[in-house]
Amino acid sequence: MVRFIGLEGVGTKYELETKSGDKIAVIFLLNKRIQVYIQEKSCEKPCSIEITEMEAKRLSSILGGVPIEKERESVEIDFMGVPDLTLAMHTYTVSKKLHGKTIEELAIRKRTGANIVAVSRGGKTIISPPPHLIFEEGDVIVVIGDKEQIEKFEKEILGI
Amino acid sequence: MDIAIAGLVCVVLAAISKKFSLPSVPAYILAGLIFGSGGLGLFTADKVSDTIAEAGVIMLLFYIGLNLNPREISEKKGMIFHSGLYDFLINFSLIYIISVLAGFDHTRAFLVASALYISSSAIVLQSLIENRKLIYRESEIVIWIMVFEDIVIALLIVLNNPETSDLIFFMLKVLILTALTYLLSGYMPKLIGGLFQREDEVPALFAFTVALLGVAFEEFFQIPAGYTAIMLGLMLSGIKRLKEIILPFKDVFLVLFFFFFGISVNLSTNGLVLGLVLAAVAIAGKIISGLITGRHLLKSWLSGLEIGLDTVARGEFSIFLIFAFGSGSEVSAVTAAVVITSIIGAFLSKNSEKIKISASKMAERFSSTQ
Repeated sequence: MVRFIGLEGVGTKYELETKSGDKIAVIFLLNKRIQVYIQEKSCEKPCSIEITEMEAKRLSSILGGVPIEKERESVEIDFMGVPDLTLAMHTYTVSKKLHGKTIEELAIRKRTGANIVAVSRGGKTIISPPPHLIFEEGDVIVVIGDKEQIEKFEKEILGI
Repeated sequence: MDIAIAGLVCVVLAAISKKFSLPSVPAYILAGLIFGSGGLGLFTADKVSDTIAEAGVIMLLFYIGLNLNPREISEKKGMIFHSGLYDFLINFSLIYIISVLAGFDHTRAFLVASALYISSSAIVLQSLIENRKLIYRESEIVIWIMVFEDIVIALLIVLNNPETSDLIFFMLKVLILTALTYLLSGYMPKLIGGLFQREDEVPALFAFTVALLGVAFEEFFQIPAGYTAIMLGLMLSGIKRLKEIILPFKDVFLVLFFFFFGISVNLSTNGLVLGLVLAAVAIAGKIISGLITGRHLLKSWLSGLEIGLDTVARGEFSIFLIFAFGSGSEVSAVTAAVVITSIIGAFLSKNSEKIKISASKMAERFSSTQ
């Protein structure tokens, strides 16, 4: 059961009691920061953290069960000026299978619609990599695309 | 020139009090007292500083109104009423009695009681957030107490208004304004809400003007500016963006108000002594009313103690009421009481856990010796 209540001059509070009797409270403060409290059933004093909206988003995707192993992490970006635009970026680690191949050769854009927007190699970042870039095992790539394109990319290019 | 220096002093104070998580309101007032006519005499109040001070309080009351959404309030009216009732009854009457005993006539005792009954929403809410107390049910009750007080402020402004030569006509005007507010609060946001979504200077300029409209109302209709400001805020409380626009104006003018208020006050020895007494009563009163409220609503004295400790700090509203309607030694007394209770209140709220532990130990010892 989630209890929801507006707190005048402070923000909005959501309160949740788990089946085992632990308590969770989330308060969206007026200054856009978010306080999260957890309190064990037997514990008198709750613990709390204060996080930003962005951190809350990451937390929610973890709790929401989106797989965020290192090679399949995704980040959503919202733009202040364009309220209805949300970009999802996904990161993957290049496996042995792709080692030595170029973006052009794999025809990623043509086959899946997804785009590689950045490659991170040994701590260095290549933004908007050229089509002739040769992948190396261990490269972290950032891919942009809608849900369908990403699914296609994962299936056809990465084979996962 | 003076304003820039005043602003600079306040910027430094704001930064320091933030760093040590102390309330900033008493710091601005103390700085005003030190630099002003009663202290070093570096600043004197003039027409400009008076206007800024007045704008500061009007902005504050408009902002209070904006945060009182009639629809949301009426959904919770039972909770708000039960939370705020004892707080009002106990603290108002305690301060009133002490003021009469101190030799004030009934009008002035009523003013002092009005001023010192009301806690500082700014300090109280800030310490709930900073001391991470929002998970507790006690904190919700503290918030409802603040809402109850916000509503009572509107009433107290009207009741303390001295220019009531024709009482029936005055009350009629106030009632008409209140009724209009209630009727229009549903339509106004739809009607003019769009104006605040624009990208040009219109939103800020319009928000600023509406906030200050109360002053014009006072001149034309002799309705207290503060009351009109709250009503205008209430009327427009459905416009979410307006709150964001008005906030920086309120912050700047209100801080300068505290400083300029401090400048204008000449702390008298009598006032200071009375202030000390009132501060002690004010602190005790809130703890007692907290205890009773907690016992009544949460069935726990300890919860009550928490509520009491969290609501001790007086601040902006006390200063506003005494600035708007006070004249003699009550100004010194209330100012001193506000400075003392705000600092002690912030301390009590921060250390409420420790205080509750020692209180329950003492209670145990007491009951075991019985």
